[in-house]
Amino acid sequence: MSEHKVIVVNKGMVRADYNFWVGRYLDKFFDNLENKKIVGNKCSKCGDVFVPPRKICGKCNVVIPLEENWVDLPDTGILKNYTITPYRVNDRTHRKAKDLLLGMIQIDGSNTAIVYRLLDLKPDEIKTGMKVKIEWAEKPKGDPSDIKGFVKM
Amino acid sequence: MEKVGIVGYYQVKLHSDANYGRYEMIFKAVRGAVDMAGLKKKDISTVISCTNDYYDGRTISNCFTVEVGGGYMADESKVEMDGAHAVLYGLMRILSGNHKLAVVWGGSMPSCFPYHSTRLFETDPTWERPLAYVNDITSAGFQMRSYMEKYGVSAEEIASVAVKNRKNAAKNPLALAEVQNSNIDVKEVLASDIYADPVTELMVAQPCDGVAAILLAPERQALKITDKPVWITGIGYSQEAYYLGDRNLYESKSMELAGKTAFESAGIKDPKSEIDVAELFEAYAHEELILSEALGLAEKGKGASINSEINGDISINPSGGATSGNPPCATGLIRVIEAARQLRGEANGYQVNNAKKAIASGQVGMCAQNNILFVLEGGN
Repeated sequence: MSEHKVIVVNKGMVRADYNFWVGRYLDKFFDNLENKKIVGNKCSKCGDVFVPPRKICGKCNVVIPLEENWVDLPDTGILKNYTITPYRVNDRTHRKAKDLLLGMIQIDGSNTAIVYRLLDLKPDEIKTGMKVKIEWAEKPKGDPSDIKGFVKM
Repeated sequence: MEKVGIVGYYQVKLHSDANYGRYEMIFKAVRGAVDMAGLKKKDISTVISCTNDYYDGRTISNCFTVEVGGGYMADESKVEMDGAHAVLYGLMRILSGNHKLAVVWGGSMPSCFPYHSTRLFETDPTWERPLAYVNDITSAGFQMRSYMEKYGVSAEEIASVAVKNRKNAAKNPLALAEVQNSNIDVKEVLASDIYADPVTELMVAQPCDGVAAILLAPERQALKITDKPVWITGIGYSQEAYYLGDRNLYESKSMELAGKTAFESAGIKDPKSEIDVAELFEAYAHEELILSEALGLAEKGKGASINSEINGDISINPSGGATSGNPPCATGLIRVIEAARQLRGEANGYQVNNAKKAIASGQVGMCAQNNILFVLEGGN
C-alpha cells in the first residue's frame, strides 16, 4: 500500500447558522433565568416537576398547558452524580490541562437533574448527595450560560 | 412470523486509520457477503444502508454509496442509527413479501472527522449544546458512577470487563490491532488516561474505521442459498427518555423491555440458562454489565460476578464486543454477525462450544438511550 495519502480538507466551506427558537416553554424559563430565578412545570398526572420545563410528560403522555402548573423553585439542589474530564469535545485539540468538574444537579422541588459545572471545588471534595447552590452569571442574558455553575452550600 | 434467515455476512478488518477509502470498504463488505452466499449483484433486490450524515460529511450521504453498496438500480433506503437497527429494517423489507434478498450494510470512517464533536449534534440545541457539558464522553462518566454508587460496584470489577474483552479481541483477527492484548490486566486499564472519571481510556470502545454487511432472505430462499442459515427468532426494541437527568443511568429500562419482547417472541423463558452466546454493544465496559443485567443474564448490580468468559456461565462478547472496535453505524451489525458466526461454528479461535441460541444487541444515543435486541438460532 502507498505510504502517501492525498487528504482533501473541507474546512469552513459551508457556513450555515441555525437559529433555533426555543419555544414557548423555554422562552418563559430563560426569561426567568435572566432574572436569576428557576421555574419548572408540573405534570398534573404523575406530579413530576421538570427543569427545564416542557410541554409533554413523556411517561404519562400528558400535555402540560402553557399557562398552568408552573412552579417557582429555589436556586439550590442536590448533587446526584458527577464526572471529571480533561476533554473538550467541542474543541479540535480535544484536551486541555485543566479538568472540568461536572455535576448532575436535582434542583430542590424538581424530579429531574441538569448538568452544570461544579465551581470552587477540588475533586476529592465532591460527594454525591451534597447540597449545592447556583452561582449566577454576573450579567445574565436569558440563555443556558446564566447559570455559571454550582457551588457547595 | 415468517422465518427470516441470515445467509451471508462480511466484516472488514477494523483500523484506527484505514489505508483505503470508505467507499472501497463498503464495496469490500457488501461484495464479501454476496460472495459468501454464492450470489450475484442481480440477486439483490433491496438494500438498507446505515451511515450518518454528520459522520460522512455530506447530506443524504447514501446518494453516494449507490454503486458500492449494491444499490445500483435496486431499491435502497438508509437508517441513521446503528447497523443493528438497519437489520430490523431489512427484516421488515423481507417480511413485506416483496423481496427475496436484502443487503444490510453499515459503517463509518472516524479517522476522517472529529467523532466526539459530531456527537454534540445529538444534544438539544436549545439547552445542552450551547454549553457542551452533556456529550458522549461526560455522559459515560455519569453512567459509570451512577452504576458504581447504586450497587457498590468497584472500578476494578468494571475494568475486568475491559480486560476480558481485550483478551477476547486478541483472538478475533478482525479486531482493531490496538485493542488486541492478551497480557492486559486490571491495573493497566485503571492506570490508562482519564476519559471522564471514573471511565478510563481502556474502558472505552474506541471509534474506528470499518464496514460490515449481512444478507437476509425469507425461509424458502434462505434454505436454497445455504445449508447453514441463521434464523432471527426474536426481536425487541425500546428507548427511554432523552434527557440524562430524567433517567436512572445505573440500569437500562429500554434493554429490559427489548429483552422481554425478544425473548417472548423467541419462546425463551429463562435467558440465563437458554442463551449460549451474547454479543452486546457495550460502548463502555460498564455498559456490558448494565445491559446483561437488564437482559436477566445476571441480577441487578451483580453483572461482574458471573463468569462471562468464553465457555463460562454465559459467553458474553467472545469476539471482544464493541471493545474490539467500534466503527460507528457498524458496531451493532457486527454483533449480529458475530452471533451468527458462533451459531455457524465459524468463530475460529473464540468459538463457544455447542452454541445453539445467541443474542445480539445494538444501541444508539447517550448512555445507550435506545436498545435493540435480536435472538438468533442456528440449524435448518
